[in-house]
Amino acid sequence: MAAVNGYQGNTPADPPATNGSKQPVPSTKTVDSQSVLKRLQSELMGLMMGGDPGISAFPEEDNIFCWKGTITGSKETVFEGTEYRLSLSFSNDYPFKPPKVKFETCCFHPNVDVYGNICLDILQDKWSSAYDVRTILLSIQSLLGEPNISSPLNTQAAQLWSNQEEYKKMVEKLYKPLNA
Amino acid sequence: MISDSITNASATAAPSAKDFGKKKRTNRSAKLKQSKLGLRREQWLSQVAMANKGDKEEIDSNRKPRSENPDQRDRPVENLDGLSREAEDNSGTHHHESFIESLSNSPNSILSGMNSIPNFSSSSSSGSGGSCSGNITEEEDPDDDGCLDDWEAIADALAADDDKHEKENPPESCEEHASIKQSASPRASVSGSNVAIRDVKPAMSRKQKSNQAWRPDDKLRPQGLPNLEKQRSFPVMNLHYSSVAVPSSCPICYEDLDLTDSNFLPCPCGFRLCLFCHKTICDGDGRCPGCRKPYERNTIKVEASVQGCGLTIRLARSSSMFCRS
Repeated sequence: MAAVNGYQGNTPADPPATNGSKQPVPSTKTVDSQSVLKRLQSELMGLMMGGDPGISAFPEEDNIFCWKGTITGSKETVFEGTEYRLSLSFSNDYPFKPPKVKFETCCFHPNVDVYGNICLDILQDKWSSAYDVRTILLSIQSLLGEPNISSPLNTQAAQLWSNQEEYKKMVEKLYKPLNA
Repeated sequence: MISDSITNASATAAPSAKDFGKKKRTNRSAKLKQSKLGLRREQWLSQVAMANKGDKEEIDSNRKPRSENPDQRDRPVENLDGLSREAEDNSGTHHHESFIESLSNSPNSILSGMNSIPNFSSSSSSGSGGSCSGNITEEEDPDDDGCLDDWEAIADALAADDDKHEKENPPESCEEHASIKQSASPRASVSGSNVAIRDVKPAMSRKQKSNQAWRPDDKLRPQGLPNLEKQRSFPVMNLHYSSVAVPSSCPICYEDLDLTDSNFLPCPCGFRLCLFCHKTICDGDGRCPGCRKPYERNTIKVEASVQGCGLTIRLARSSSMFCRS
């Protein structure tokens, strides 16, 4: 898009062609964003009515395309008693493309890097438009307790995973409560 | 092309349509006709059951003040010819009563009995003085409101309808059959022989009784039938569609699924979605959101031809739209 704009600015002879290719984009965009809006509003309703324990999500103040979610560590895992904040950013292609999901709270986990990026197949190539915010958060919650050690983003966490007692100490040491 | 094959299939599936020679009649009108016929059959059955009951209890004052059963029973057989004038008005019901009697005599072969209606007309005429067989077709046509042209069509429609009604309300029909069987059992042994003529006399009186009981229904029928049809036919359709669990809204865009969408099953895994979302996915990676397997264009057509009713023609069009795009 940026390249097209720059090209258009440099050579004014070409605009008819670029306009022709550009014109359908805004119209489909509005249609898409309306359907995305409807979908996200319905999901929000479902989340608020459903009351799943351990997960919650809500849009940021004035932008329904950016949500903040929280996940509570499951019981009988090393993450028990911890709570993590995540950000979810939806594109106009949602739900045909997955949202971008990141940990905002530091999470010591084999499949989460230091920037909060998550390595989870359903957020990449295994995404299905049948998934929604609720299933994403539930999947991440179960990923906390059952990491995929074979393809780690955080190799230190992957190595330490075998020693659950030490791992729990590390989690508690690195954990920063949400309010802090 | 697809719709052509569907109409051909429906024509072969419902032989009654072929009899009418009107190709434009769809399965729906045939179904309506069948339910109409089924309704009439129930009316006949209840009529006969009522008449038999009245005959047993020897109550004839409230039904018909004119004719008295004992008198008619004592009449000689030759009077049947005189009665036949009255029976002419009524030969439709007359015929059907004997038809039902033989049904109840052989309750296990209902379908075969219905398919051999021409034989019935001959047997009933031999039983009741030979005045009936000529009048049946005359009398039946006004009764049908012009919706049925010949007996073979009725037979086909009844045969096709019978299964449906047996499933639809088994206790009612069983009750009716039981009562008819009860009333018919005394003369079940003598059916078809000359001795039966004696038994025909009470049967005739019953027919007259049913004649007069039938009349008010006859006048009321044009108004009463359509409502009953709706009550009969639409719950069946609803049952048919509710048996398959169809979500009320598309799981992708959360918009309500309309009738076309809810009959749209693009993937064998059973995951349903609206046509718009399906198109969006097909423009993208083309994988089913339910099972992640790529959509097969052919499965849509198979689904369309399997169902074989008016809805699927619309479906076939929409799927062909997808193939074009």
